[in-house]
Amino acid sequence: MHNMTLPNRQLIYFLVYKNLQLKYKHSMLGFMWSFLHPFFYLLIFNFVFSKAFSQIEHYSLFVISGLIFWVYFSGSCNSLSQTFIRNAQLIKSLNVNKILYALSEQGAELFGFLSGFILFLILMIYLGMPLQWNILWIIPIILLFSIFCLALGLILASLNVFFRDIGILWNTLNPALFYLSPIAYSIDIIPLEYRLYFKLNPIYHFLFVIRNVLYEGISPSFIHLVYCTVITTITLLLGVLIYRKTNNGFISNL
Amino acid sequence: MKDRLAIELKDVSVSYLHNKKGIHSLKDFFTKGDLISPFEKKVVLEDVNLRVFEGQSMGILGRNGEGKSTLLRTIAGIMKPDKGICEVHVEISPLLALGVGLELELTGIENIKIYLALSNCYSSATIKSKIDEIAAFSELSLEQLKLPIKMYSTGMLSRLAFSTVMATEPKLLMIDEVLAVGDKGFQEKCKKKIHEMKQCGVTILFVSHNPDEVLEICERGICLKEGRIVCDGSAQQAVDEYNKLFV
Repeated sequence: MHNMTLPNRQLIYFLVYKNLQLKYKHSMLGFMWSFLHPFFYLLIFNFVFSKAFSQIEHYSLFVISGLIFWVYFSGSCNSLSQTFIRNAQLIKSLNVNKILYALSEQGAELFGFLSGFILFLILMIYLGMPLQWNILWIIPIILLFSIFCLALGLILASLNVFFRDIGILWNTLNPALFYLSPIAYSIDIIPLEYRLYFKLNPIYHFLFVIRNVLYEGISPSFIHLVYCTVITTITLLLGVLIYRKTNNGFISNL
Repeated sequence: MKDRLAIELKDVSVSYLHNKKGIHSLKDFFTKGDLISPFEKKVVLEDVNLRVFEGQSMGILGRNGEGKSTLLRTIAGIMKPDKGICEVHVEISPLLALGVGLELELTGIENIKIYLALSNCYSSATIKSKIDEIAAFSELSLEQLKLPIKMYSTGMLSRLAFSTVMATEPKLLMIDEVLAVGDKGFQEKCKKKIHEMKQCGVTILFVSHNPDEVLEICERGICLKEGRIVCDGSAQQAVDEYNKLFV
């Protein structure tokens, strides 16, 4: 009786609903923000960089295909890093498997991402995205990417309970990671000798397969898909390990 | 029913991971702390042995910070003991403590729904009837229930929390000093409800600083001191022991 874990779909559904409610409670445009936020970025990049990177064909499409996934990634990590702190009251009063709070947070982020993604698909078709069956590859890629975000978020969330500066540190490093990832530019402009370091960035490999599908209209590179799966698996194992090691101490530090 | 064990604790010790020297950031971690173990254990409950039978109502007394809430949390399974065994043979309900488990930005109704979902109550018909039940018992109007609960007063919050937990029909009721903030009318109503639940064979654990309330509600009492049970007997004995703490 004592380990009443409730791996319940309904419960996750309720918590996702709660997170969405909280996220958009006081905004008039609500869900539209999941479209507008990346869209404003797109306008800025288009304005600033399109001349500089004129050798990239369909520059807007190039940027937007990477940008929406970046916004999803940074948004997820940001809200997941706070999830245990924000749910402190529930954690202190209910015997529920705490990993559900992280799962539901990611669920809410995924929901927001998908609702914006549908609008972006229309925009991307307008910007010259090749419409082929290959585009269906994006579904497993989104799934894999979501698990990666969840796993990384779980690490941040667990550590953030003990050291609140993990969240702050992450927010500080976030822009650096953005500019180190080939989102607004192509990796071709990086000198060959530095390129290896760029490839250590997990985001790079995800962007590679995403652009394969959304920008080039081909099926994703097999080897990069393998990289992504390996990265996700390792991050997930690490996340679960850190969560397991730390979660009994949450209550004393919340 | 009184011969069936509801809760059994054997040599249970519970401790908090406590930050040494108040380390809350990485800066403190590097400047103040010793790098190997920045946390130290602070023992809150030590070698607690306790057997509670089904249908019993037990008062838990003790000074602030002597482990009463921790004891409830351990029984509720929210905190895991470092050593010893904690077995609970009845269905566990949410802990009823002040301001706990409520999301301030959401409305009363949304909070009720989440709470019901967390206590395994899902069908929309049941949820609807439960909400009516909660509204009736808490005497909060539907208009008030549609407000974000950050606008509630402390008394309204405790009405909402008490009514919601009651609506989940718990078999084990754990109350942590929530009656103190309600007005007199509601306090009486709560006590009546608690007595009704006793009649139905609900096991009750009652934390309070008001000896009269403990005597009124409980037949049995324990008194905690520095994380140990110093008195386990009738409610009257526990109250006497509790009063001795302050002489």
